[in-house]
Amino acid sequence: MIQAYTILLDSLRMLRASKLFWVSMWISLLVAIVYASVGFTPTGMSVGFGLWDFDVPVIREGSAESEVFYLLLFTDVIVRFWLGWFSLVLAIISTCSIFPHFLQAGSIELALSKPLSRLRLFLMKYLGGLLFVAVQTGLFCLVAFVAIGFRVSEWNVSIFWAVPLITFAFSLIYCVGVFIGVATRSTVFALLGALLFWAVTLFAQWTEDFVYKMAYVLPEVGLSVDMQTGELQETPEDASSGIKKTYQRIQSVTKVLPKTRECTISLKRLIRFQERDSMLAGVDLGSVFAGGDADPVVKEAMQKYELRHSWFTIIGTSLIFEILVLALAARIMIRRDY
Amino acid sequence: MSDFAVDIETLRKRYSNGVEALAGVSLQVPYGSIFGLIGPNGAGKSTLVKSLLSILRPTECRGTMLGEKIGNKSILAKVGYLPEHASFPDYLTGRQVIEYAAGLANVSRAACRSRCDMLLEKVGMTEAAGRNIRTYSKGMKQRIGLAQALINDPVVVFLDEPTDGVDPEGRIDFKNMISSMRGDGRTVFVNSHLLAEVEQVADRVAILTKGRIIKQGLVEDLTRRDARYEVKFHGQMPVALLEWCHQQQMKIEGDRITCRADGPLQIQPLIDRLRAALVVIREIKEEKFSLEELFLQAVTQSREESAAAKGGTR
Repeated sequence: MIQAYTILLDSLRMLRASKLFWVSMWISLLVAIVYASVGFTPTGMSVGFGLWDFDVPVIREGSAESEVFYLLLFTDVIVRFWLGWFSLVLAIISTCSIFPHFLQAGSIELALSKPLSRLRLFLMKYLGGLLFVAVQTGLFCLVAFVAIGFRVSEWNVSIFWAVPLITFAFSLIYCVGVFIGVATRSTVFALLGALLFWAVTLFAQWTEDFVYKMAYVLPEVGLSVDMQTGELQETPEDASSGIKKTYQRIQSVTKVLPKTRECTISLKRLIRFQERDSMLAGVDLGSVFAGGDADPVVKEAMQKYELRHSWFTIIGTSLIFEILVLALAARIMIRRDY
Repeated sequence: MSDFAVDIETLRKRYSNGVEALAGVSLQVPYGSIFGLIGPNGAGKSTLVKSLLSILRPTECRGTMLGEKIGNKSILAKVGYLPEHASFPDYLTGRQVIEYAAGLANVSRAACRSRCDMLLEKVGMTEAAGRNIRTYSKGMKQRIGLAQALINDPVVVFLDEPTDGVDPEGRIDFKNMISSMRGDGRTVFVNSHLLAEVEQVADRVAILTKGRIIKQGLVEDLTRRDARYEVKFHGQMPVALLEWCHQQQMKIEGDRITCRADGPLQIQPLIDRLRAALVVIREIKEEKFSLEELFLQAVTQSREESAAAKGGTR
């Protein structure tokens, strides 16, 4: 217990000494303040703590849509783009040096000469790296939780699901950085490798997403893409089996890859409206602005699209990938002579 | 229980590239002694220590440390270690480095607090303890390194080139600190290529070269084995006395007579003859071989033997 506490405390001290951690933290705080500054008036919404007012009849003080809008702002904009994207890049840059530095001659010997197994040392050090994201996301969620509570009078604790989900999404890239860092003891290789891998997985997820929409969502709402012009056209027919087959092939490839983007997006499945006991999945900002006029067919298709992957496909397969990569990295670290 | 803190029956390490770093080393370190492992760079000194501390995996190892099989992680709770070129996280202060080492060694927070202050004072770092380690000189880092090696109140302390990069004043402090560890009842294992320093503090030494121990024993015994006396005189030496000295295999250079002798009794005839010839004796000094001479002699002998063995094989 003392050993685990020591390694985690050391990780926190290392983060505190990192300039990027503070840069990321300050930007997070700024984003959180901007988020908290969004409020509702009897005629619409305001930004900057009432500095700018906008008349939006659907989203006004006391309306059900205002709560959905406020939560969607959190899940679809802030979590997806700031916490799930820019903040993760900063975290990867900051943490990719942890293992290469730790494995340097003169440094690793100090830890290995203690009564502590190498596997435990590896795992604790790994968990320490995850603190970078967990701490930031945790603090961000706290501010968001208070902001949501005050703005829409609902103390929605389910938004804290963002902490494990974003940390998990980060861990999927970080584990690759750790593996390369342990194998090569080079920060540059670890960083480049992790970022490159992330780019590959994102590309795969975007492709799968796009092809799914083509194969299932558009036909369900009676649309198809004119392959000559690239424009949408109304067709009642179902999608051709060709595109469905393409989707199956793409899905078989993406299945084995970690799903960082999916993890971030799946937060909507976990956020619940306590009073109405309904979920956020299938709802987007566009449908909120449309209010009660949203097409139920489109809504259903979007819900199906957002729920198309099971938890096992998103978390389970990603976790298997992470465990395998970490097992390889741990094996290298455990068996190596220093 | 064994009388030895470290008792290596055989230790062999061959790296994957085929280099044999340790070719079946056997050595014993008694409890409460200061043991010096000396040898040229690349002899395998650090490899030996790292093998004992499970930092690297020996190809073959039979032996015990503190009564337990070498490789047993639990014994490391009673072991302290200062690695060669120790590198501490530069975001920590001196005190935090010691606390970090204490935590990894499973030392309770209360014990750590009380020992930390005591050790900082002992290594002369109390005032600078709150400063960031990146502001420290090499000598200061080594002092903190020594303190972290002692935070778990170890029975055995391994110091790998502890005075590397330390200024002369610091070296004297280190020597005194190492000696005081023996006073505290600890066993100290010092790896060094600075022979004069080892000679000043160690009770026992082993000379390691090319992965083999070529000599080991008490420093006194090793240096006495080829002891000699030096007599300085003033005035003219009578020819008869000169001839007698030559007959006795004594060497005369200027005002100095050097003779091999295992003890003071053996040089009494020379003193008697000098006094009888009214030659003024200015100084009589028992000269032992220094560790450096012993080391060079042993290394040269080893080289010659291996060259001869190679020649014989051809």
